[in-house]
This record gives sequence, C-alpha cells and structure tokens, in this order.
Amino acid sequence: MVTKVKNLAELNGREPPKIGVYICWCGVNIGGVVDVPKLCDYARTLPYVVLASEYKFMCSDIGQGMIMEDIKDGKINRVVVASCSPRMHEETFRRACEEGGLNKFLFEQANIREHCTWVTMNDVPGATEIAKDHIRMAVAKVSELKPLEVTTVKVEPSTLVVGAGIAGINAALDLANSGYKVYLVDKSPTVGGHMAQLDKTFPTMDCSSCITTPKMSEIARNPNIELMTYSEVVSLDGYVGNFQVKIVKYPHYIDQDTCTGCGHCVDTCPVVCGNEFDLGMKPRKAIYLSFPQAVPGQYTIDMNHCIRCGICKEVCPTKSVRYNDKPEYVDIKVGTIILATGYDPYDARRMKQYGFGRIKNVINALQMERLLSSYGPTGGKVRRPSDQKEPKKLVWVQCVGSREFTGKGRKYCSRVCCMYATKQARSYKEKHPDAQIFIFYIDLRAFGKGYEEFYNDTAKNYGIKFIRGRVAELLEAENGNVIVRAEDTTLQRPLELEVDMVVLSVGLEPREDIDDIARIFNVTATKTEDGFLMEAHPKLRPVDTLTEGIFVAGNVVGPKDIPDTVAQAKAAASSASTLMARGEVEIVPYYSIVLSHKCAGCKSCISLCPFNAITFNEIENVAEINDILCKGCGTCVAGCPSKAIIQNHFGDAQILPMIETAIPKKPEKEEVEVE
Amino acid sequence: MASNDSKFALFLGCVIPNRYPFIERATRAVFEKFKIELVDMKGASCCPAPGVFRGFDIETWLVVGARNITIAEELGLDIALMCNGCYGSLLEVNHTLKEDKEKRRKVNEHLAKIGREFKGTIEIRHVVDIMYHDIGPEKIRNRTKYGRKTPLNLNLAVHYGCHLTKPAKLRPWDMECENPTFFDELVEISGCKSLNYKDKFMCCGAGGGVRGAFKELSLDYTREKLENMTAAKADVIITGCPFCHLQFDLGQVEVNNIFKDKISAPFNIPVLYFTQLIGLAIGMTPEEMGLIKSPELKGVPPFTPMKPVLTKIGDSA
Amino acid sequence: MENIKPEKITYVSDDLTRLLRDAGYLELCACIQCGTCTGSCPSGRRTASRTRSLMKKVQLGLKEEILSDKELWFCSTCYTCLERCPRGVPVTDVIISLRNLAVKEGYMQEPHIALCKMFYNTGHGVPINEEKWKKLREYHKLNELPPTTHQYPEAEKEIQTLLKSTEFDKLTGVGDYEKKKGEEES
Repeated sequence: MVTKVKNLAELNGREPPKIGVYICWCGVNIGGVVDVPKLCDYARTLPYVVLASEYKFMCSDIGQGMIMEDIKDGKINRVVVASCSPRMHEETFRRACEEGGLNKFLFEQANIREHCTWVTMNDVPGATEIAKDHIRMAVAKVSELKPLEVTTVKVEPSTLVVGAGIAGINAALDLANSGYKVYLVDKSPTVGGHMAQLDKTFPTMDCSSCITTPKMSEIARNPNIELMTYSEVVSLDGYVGNFQVKIVKYPHYIDQDTCTGCGHCVDTCPVVCGNEFDLGMKPRKAIYLSFPQAVPGQYTIDMNHCIRCGICKEVCPTKSVRYNDKPEYVDIKVGTIILATGYDPYDARRMKQYGFGRIKNVINALQMERLLSSYGPTGGKVRRPSDQKEPKKLVWVQCVGSREFTGKGRKYCSRVCCMYATKQARSYKEKHPDAQIFIFYIDLRAFGKGYEEFYNDTAKNYGIKFIRGRVAELLEAENGNVIVRAEDTTLQRPLELEVDMVVLSVGLEPREDIDDIARIFNVTATKTEDGFLMEAHPKLRPVDTLTEGIFVAGNVVGPKDIPDTVAQAKAAASSASTLMARGEVEIVPYYSIVLSHKCAGCKSCISLCPFNAITFNEIENVAEINDILCKGCGTCVAGCPSKAIIQNHFGDAQILPMIETAIPKKPEKEEVEVE
Repeated sequence: MASNDSKFALFLGCVIPNRYPFIERATRAVFEKFKIELVDMKGASCCPAPGVFRGFDIETWLVVGARNITIAEELGLDIALMCNGCYGSLLEVNHTLKEDKEKRRKVNEHLAKIGREFKGTIEIRHVVDIMYHDIGPEKIRNRTKYGRKTPLNLNLAVHYGCHLTKPAKLRPWDMECENPTFFDELVEISGCKSLNYKDKFMCCGAGGGVRGAFKELSLDYTREKLENMTAAKADVIITGCPFCHLQFDLGQVEVNNIFKDKISAPFNIPVLYFTQLIGLAIGMTPEEMGLIKSPELKGVPPFTPMKPVLTKIGDSA
Repeated sequence: MENIKPEKITYVSDDLTRLLRDAGYLELCACIQCGTCTGSCPSGRRTASRTRSLMKKVQLGLKEEILSDKELWFCSTCYTCLERCPRGVPVTDVIISLRNLAVKEGYMQEPHIALCKMFYNTGHGVPINEEKWKKLREYHKLNELPPTTHQYPEAEKEIQTLLKSTEFDKLTGVGDYEKKKGEEES
C-alpha cells in the first residue's frame, strides 16, 4: 500500500498523471552495475506510475518505439526515461514523445549513468539506491510538469564571421557562395591569419601562400561578403536568428576607397619600427602594408609610431591621407555567428631554461616560417639573428609549452609541432643539403593523413636526425652558438651539442583576448580547462556552442592543423546555413514570467539579469521579461523580493517535490489519501 | 612574520662557526653598519643538513629542524641565516609544519620530551634575501659613497648555489631559478662586474651528501665550474653559502691535487663570501672582513690566496 | 662467460609506487620518460647515474635494484630536474624518500655513518673537533666556542633525546647502538 499525494494537475481538475517509466541498460554501462528489472519493480511502486519497462538501449529505434506505442495506446500521459545525461539524449526522447502524440515537455530524464553507475560502479547496492533516488525524483517532477509550447523566431539570412584566417575565410566563402550575406571581421589590417605567415604546408609541401592568397582575393571580390578588416566586435545583443552586433572600425588614417596602394608614402616615411607580420625580424615604416599580398591592399598608418611629419600627405598622389580619421561604429543584424579567432603561438619566454629572448640564436618556429618564406625578412635565405650567418647545424626543440603540467605551459599536445618541425627541417635541407639537423622530441606524433609517410620520407631521404629526449636546457656560447643539453633516452646517455641556431617548436595557445571574446559572445560558460572555447558536445556537436546560433571553427576550440581547421570551418558554415535555410528556429520555452499583480516594481531583477532580457514597463509599473532573450537561468526568480517571478519547467512546483522526495521524512497531515 | 625588520635571530649552522668563522665575522659587521641587530640562538644545532640527514630520515630532520625554529620562536624573531643548506632545511621544515597539521602533531610529540613546541610563528630568511629585499640595493649603494674612494673593479664569478633559488616555489625570487640576476645586482653595487660564465647556475657539487661519500665526483663538479670561471677570466669567486664556499676554497686545493692530470693549470682564484665584498665596498677594512690570514695557524681557511684582492685594496687605498 | 649477462626484468611490483604514493608522489605514475631530468643532471653528466631510468625503475617497483645501488647517493640535490620536469614530478624529493627507504634496508655509505655519529655526539654535522678551529674563531674575534650545542651541553642532550625519540640512533647505529655494537665486537 503506497501513500499517494494528489498533484496540482489533479487538484486543478485536469487528467491525473499516468506515468510510464523506462529504464535503459545502456549495454553494460547501467545494466552491468545495477539490477534493472528490480529498478522496474521499484518504479512501479511510485505514485502515478502505471507502467515500468526496460530495454538494452532506450535511445534505439526499438526503445523509442516502446514509448511511442504506450502513448498512442493511451496507457500513459507522462514519461520518465532513466538512462544517460539529458545532454546526451533529452532531445531524442522528447522527439519520441512528440511523435507519440504527447507534449514533449511532459518528459523527464533520470541520469542514472553519469550521476550513478559511472561514478559508483564498484558499489552495487549503493548504486542501486542512488538509481532509485534519481528515478523517484524524476517521477516527482514529471507529475508536476506542465505542457509548454515552443516559440519560433525568424532567422536573418546573414552571418557574422569573426576572424579572417583560413577558418574564417573558408566559412565565409561557403556561406557567401550559398547566397547568404556574410560580414567578415578581422582585428588586423589584412585577412589571411597565421596561414599567410607560413612558408609551406605539411605533408604535401605545397606553398602556403599559393593556396591562401587566391582565397584571400576571392574574399575581397565576392559580392556577398562585406569585409571589415582592422575592426572588432564591441558588443552583441539579441538571440539566435536575430543578433545585433556593434563593430568598431579602427581608423586606417588612409582613405581606403581612394588609396591605390602605389607605395609612394612608404618610400618617404621616416619612421622605422618592427613588422608584426615578420615577428619583429624585419623593419617596417609607420605607414605600411602588412605584406605585399595583403588583402585589402590599401595602406594603414600605425599611429603609435607615426610622428605626424606630414610627408606622406604631401607625396600621396590621390590625397588619401586622413590624419584626423576617427573610429567608426557600425551596427549590423545577423542570424548566425561563427567564431574563428584562432590562436596565439606559445610565448616561449615562460620556458626560461630555453632562453628565448635572452639567447640571440634561439628563435621560435613562427619566426622560422618567416625566415624560410620567400617574402620573409631575408627573402627566404635563413640567417641567424646574432651575426646573419647561414646556420649549418640546427636543432628543433619539440613540445615547447606543450604537454607541460606545471603551469609554465599547456597540458595538451598542440598537434601540429611534430609535423611542422619535420616540414621546416626538410625545407631547410632541400636548400642546404650539407646542413646537419636534429629534432629532439618526446613522442613523434604523426597521426594525420599522410603524416607517418611524411616522417618516413623525410627521415629517409633528408638525413634529419630524430633524437628521443626533451631538451633540458640551452646555453649561449661565446661565439653566439647554442649549446643543447638533453638525454638521448634510447641510448640512455646525456648529450651536449653545440649548434648554430635553435628553433623552438612552440605550441598553440588560446588567444590573449579569448576571455573578451567569450564575454562578448556570451560563451563564457563554455571555457574549459585548456583555455579554449568549448564545443557543445565534443563528438556530436563539435562546431556548436551552448549559445544557440553561435558556432566555432578552427583553433579557437583547440589546436589543430590546416585540414582539420578547414573541415571545421566548412562544418560551421554548413551548421549556420542549416539554421538559415529553415528560416525559423524553435526557442525552448524555459523563460520566466512576471506575475504582474505581485510585482512591486522594485527593478532589482533588471540588474540581476545576465541576458538583458528584463525591461521595465513604466506605465504599468511592472517588470517584463522578453521570453526570447530569457535563457531561463532563474536568477531573477531567486532574487525577486516579492516572489513575483515564476519559471517554466524549473519552478518551485517542480523542484520542491523533487527535494521532498529526495529527503525521506515523516508523512504530514496535509497529505491526501487516494485509493 | 614575527619580528620587527631590524632584528633577527642569527642561525649559524655548522660550517660557518666551526670552519669558516670569518663569514660570521664579516656578516655581523656589515649588518651592524645597516643597523640590523642579530641575536644569538643559544643551543642551536645542525639545521639538520637537507642532503644527508633528510636523506637518512625525514622525520628526524623535521624534528631537529623544528627544535631550532622553536629557539627563534622563543625570541620572537625571524631567523636570518647565511647558508643555503640551512636555508633549504629550515625553510622547508617551517613550511611543512605550518601547512601539515598531522606532521606538526607528530613532531610536537617528540619535542614535548624536551619541553618544546613548534608554534609556526616565525619566518626563515637568507641574508642575501634580507640584503636585497629589506636593506635594498639603494641603501647599500648610498653607503658605498662614504666607503671607498675608488671602486673595487674586480671581475666576479658569482656562484648562486642551488638551495638559494630552488625549489623556486617557497623562495622570494618570483619563481625565477633558471636565470636569476638578483645576486649579481647585489654584488655589482660594490663597483665590480659580475660575469656571465658557462653553467653559472650549476651546483658546486658539495651537497646531497656527495662530498661526504663520493669526494671525487663532488670535486669534478667543482673542477668544471672552476674551468668555466677561469675561461670567463674571473678575479674572484663570490658565494652566498659556506658549504659552496668550502667547496670552492678547500675544494680548489683538492681539485688541483686529484685532477692534476685533467686540468691545464692549477686553479688559484680567491673566494669571498658576498658580505665580505659588500663590507669592503662600504669602506670596512680587510681585517674586519676576515681577509687577513692568521700567520700562526696552519691548515685553516682561506685556502685560496687573498692577495689579489688585497692588492686591489692597496692600489686604491 | 663475462659477456653473457641476462638483464631481463622478470619481476615487477607496485611496492615502491605504493610507498611513494603515500608520500604524495602520484605524479610519478604519469612520468612520460622525456629525459629532462637526466639531461639536467650535473651528476649524470659525469657518472652512469640516469635519473629518468631511476624514475622508471620506481614505476616498475624494482626495489632491491634501486636501494642497493650506490648511484642513489650521487644526487647533489640541486633540484634542477624537479624545477624542469614537465609533469611536476618532485624528482629530488622522490630520491630523498628512496634514500630513506635505503637506509631502513641497511644501505648506507660509511662516511655518512661517521657524519651521523658526529651529529649525535655534538649536535653538529661538522663540529669543532680540533684545537685549531677554536683558535681560528678567537683570531676572528669570536668566542672560542659558538653559542650552539658546543657552548650548551644541555642543548646537546636535547638533540640526543630527540634522536632517540625518533629512533635515529637505532636506524644509523649511533649512540647506545654504537656502544652495543662495540661491546659485541670486543
């Protein structure tokens, strides 16, 4: 005999709950730990539960079919599935409910895998008790759930792509070619990103510029793409389908429409400073173009260095110099957003034993790319910094800042360094067959298509010596040479080599401004331990974020090589266009509602709302919540001093019964006996 | 932090009082000039040495180290010490017992037998740290103005020693242990030049019980360091630790002896403890700084010649 | 026959890993054998001591081999390996703990035993044991004995009480245990 409590629906005269509980084995994940049939027996004893079934995989066609059948047969009007995390399959089971003819919000999932059997796998009786608790709570909640209607909103057929590296370029082109309007924004004066700085690409050894620059000019020509270089997103409002974006365009101090890129100004500019594009290894003028193939090809004045001598203004044949240019703010409206802001190379100064910045002939790998590049600071002739001598003996140090668990570097493997070092070494050997080259590694990771073959070919045909051992330290010799100390771990012998130059294979890090990006685009919550943005699901939603309508591609999510970056860019473009092609999107109705008769008009909720979803109705003197902007976080509900805000689906009516049933207590007088 | 800034309990250790007393003499004299009072820690013992005794039994090391700390706790003063080994031990013991309640309970059980208790009320400071952070380069530089008429002008090979900077996490040098410069800055106030030389931050070879048990191995470190110092044309070796000091001073004689076939010429580089150099720079006499050898006593330090330094003093006096 | 030396590992245990784990050395279990420690070791540069191999032997629990090897005592505790280890393995501290285990198993270097005796008898590892040291102190205008255990016999007693309390005397065969040994031999 079970005491059953009348629920609100019943008290309100609606049809009493008829709950079906379905328990999933999840193969051995759940079934191997707890006794599923016994859990079914237990579930049948719970209030309003009319049936309890089990199946090996509830998420399968057959499993979903069981739920649909029972709904159609009128046996049940509420559903609990005890299985995995709702993040995994809530949508799956809701769809099943819907197809069976039930409002999909009358479903609740009990997570007895992640929250139970995976963490309590060595304690069978304990796990069974925990599973019972989860099921009991889910049943308590589902009894009190109300049917909700989804809202649909229109999706603007336009995309903002942030970052114009190889990821942003590819995403922008795919979308533009599908007919969508694309705003492509980049912080720097040119598109191309890091890939434009590279010399060659592994494993094909094709020239990086040759495959990047045509894409860059395609961007500039495509009528559907509005290119905004030297610009940054300042703020974001709105929601999926209807984002309002404010962008600042930094002043170039050169009229970008009239500048012809003739270069007269550069020849006469008297100010010399370091060129960022060549990582400071080559001087540039205060008026500059990042590199010859830069897109757009108009000039920019670097006001941090300009002395306003006025010479450029005098010599400019088109009179394009504008010293009084001001930043310009632009507002755009887009339906979707793709973040492709890329990475920063690891700052090797933090690995002090390698003396980067202190020992002259220790450079990082991106500097090496520029030295190898035909349009680099030395025209492709590699020279060491201390005396411009051609190095004959070189060492590449792997894992600089990667696989480092002490806080000086990053824990993850940066995935590209083994191959780019092999590529650079091979490139150097092609030009200097006499050079002696050593690559010091911990593990040589050649996992991509054609990578192992690339290593094999390089080692075999180019005589590069691969030594297994992480470099312990670098010392500077009197003559500028670098002394490399390490252990050859395979020979178990310490090793000391004096070489002309050392290249540090630095890993990839989240961009310095990743926190700003996360904050502006409201994806802060998705920042994971590695510092990159987190995807919505590492396997099944790799280019989505948890903010609907915002996608990610390339190194902003984590280090990856060019093929993977481009694949993600295309995936992000495809995901964005899926939303836009449908033209409208469903909004989960978890929003909160102000009970205007209770609202005292204190406005405290307005400042609490992290999504700017609450406005104040001055006439009625009450707060109003925009149900589309509201993400249902519940902050206002908890904060309202008059208890005038209630939340759909996660209200007191649903949560309190869960708590009550979770904590065993004595029956109280108010309880109504049924049966 | 227990005490006022100008008063410390002076922990002597073993090598300074029992082998290199002029380090104590020079340090006391220099600290007096900067009005820092050093109070004796009566009945203190060996720290105990971090390489040997800690290597034999960590618990004993903690207990005896804690006893030393309790002497300063009774005085209500932070400890100032002159030895990297003592620094390594007492810093580590103090930190461990402040953080780890269980270990502290155990240690205090032992200490109760001699009527003591570790309370965790004081800090451990190396004299290099006190000179650099408390007195500060500026104050020392100002004093050199009233000191010598001409700068000392020696080429210095500074030897930091290991436990002054490592492990980096408890020490006051902003986690810098690969390429620190604070010691160079400090000694360059004297007007001398601190040289860069190969493996400047390498160990002298004395620590970890290696000198005690494997003298030849230990001296091979020293030989290599001496060769690198010679290559950089060092006039003087500067130390901040009596055990490193001993290894370069007495060790130099030993290296010349046991490696005579391996070295091109015998080494003959004077070794000074850094307070001796600072003292000279602020105008104190070579005698006050313990640079004058006793004419009667044989087989006592310094074993390396002080004459090159004294000649410099003579030149400018 | 001297060319034939089978060096197969035939027994692997968790002994050491367990002993060290209790002292907080979980990081060692994730050692990736990169060789930074050996490459940084000033001792390894002049001997056959290989820090990385030692760490591997600890992982495999080759206890007897580690503790009986005198190379365990070649480390000068310079801490360079500990500072550079990319996995945060407290290498030097692991070596110190291994030395503790070695001493417990009776592996100790003769000169180190002598050091323990001096420590027990005087409170100093390096004591004033000759007249000349007193004279040198006086020459430098210091009291002939420092204000340490040397000047305070009761402090010396305190040290001995503590060394008995932690059974350091028994562990290293000093004090009463040295006398006992002497009596047995005579």
